[in-house]
Amino acid sequence: MEFSEFYESARDECLRVVLLNVRDRLLAEELVAEGFARAWMSWRKVRHLQVPQAWVVRVALNVNVSRWRRRRREVALGSHDRPTPAGQDAVMSDEVPAALVRRPLRQREVVTLRLLLDLDTETTAGLLGIAPGTVSAHLHKAVAALRSTIPRLDDQEVRT
Amino acid sequence: MSDDTALGTVRESLASARDSLTAVQMRTPLDSIVRNGRAARRRHRLLALASTGAVAAVAALAVGLTGVTGSAHRAGTIRTAAFILVSHSDGTATLTINPLVLLDPGTLQSDLDQDGIPAMVTAGSFCSSDPQPAGLSDVVSSEPATSGSGPVAEPTITIDPAAMPAGTELSFGNFQAAGSQQTSFTLVSTGSYTCTSTPPALDASGIITLANSRAVQ
Repeated sequence: MEFSEFYESARDECLRVVLLNVRDRLLAEELVAEGFARAWMSWRKVRHLQVPQAWVVRVALNVNVSRWRRRRREVALGSHDRPTPAGQDAVMSDEVPAALVRRPLRQREVVTLRLLLDLDTETTAGLLGIAPGTVSAHLHKAVAALRSTIPRLDDQEVRT
Repeated sequence: MSDDTALGTVRESLASARDSLTAVQMRTPLDSIVRNGRAARRRHRLLALASTGAVAAVAALAVGLTGVTGSAHRAGTIRTAAFILVSHSDGTATLTINPLVLLDPGTLQSDLDQDGIPAMVTAGSFCSSDPQPAGLSDVVSSEPATSGSGPVAEPTITIDPAAMPAGTELSFGNFQAAGSQQTSFTLVSTGSYTCTSTPPALDASGIITLANSRAVQ
């Protein structure tokens, strides 16, 4: 696959997945653009991956965390440093993405790769450089946390 | 609620949230992505060179040596449907283009860049500077086209990035139609060039043009 073809076919999916993680349209676009620029730099390697868009999404999420850490070091956390609220997109009102944003990076990565990009456990483990068992453990913790923070999930058991 | 049920519910909820974002689309053009990638790669190279230079200087001081330290160049071959790029250990590279396959400019530019060849690859247009930097014949040499195993002769050029004058890059303009193609090469001044959708004349001065099996300079 050529890079331009890959960019054309995967850019919107990557943007949407990253947007669910950061809940800020402009930031998501910036992070995904950075992810694709790095994919272009490493295209020789990335082009052979089973799901190259997962690589882009992972880079985007990592860049976001790196930037946040840098900002935290540079300026004492004030109200202007808090993450931008999600309100920029009316469609971003769902509770699960809102709760997902509050999970640690590794859990978000696992949830994003396994549940949003539908990667299997082995592929996810390979991409993150961790053991398959660790992927399962992070997924279990994330789902448990999401479940406890969203009453709606438990309500469904009563309804069904 | 069982783990499986919770997992399924979270998955459905996320999928539903993602599907509600169909109106959200990337606005960043491909050109901008490639430009940022190139800039980042140059920064990495400079850092690597600075780091290598510092280590080499320390090593030279330690053993009391003076002289030139050469940079290692990794030899290898990139083979795609549209082109084959062979990197040689002396720093030169040989590029063979398949006229039957549409060339992706971003991929070729990326691969050339990884081989230390600053290039601007365009499809359907050609970029040049006025005045044109001298020295193209030292940088690019064309070879007689060979048929290889395919039905059409494949033009080949050899590129020597060490011969490129400072502040220049190699402009590739590829024009393809119905199984035939014309690829033109020239040196341009970085940041000072214009592009046109008209293919240059086969005998234009300062431009090397490969048209299927013919090479004209």
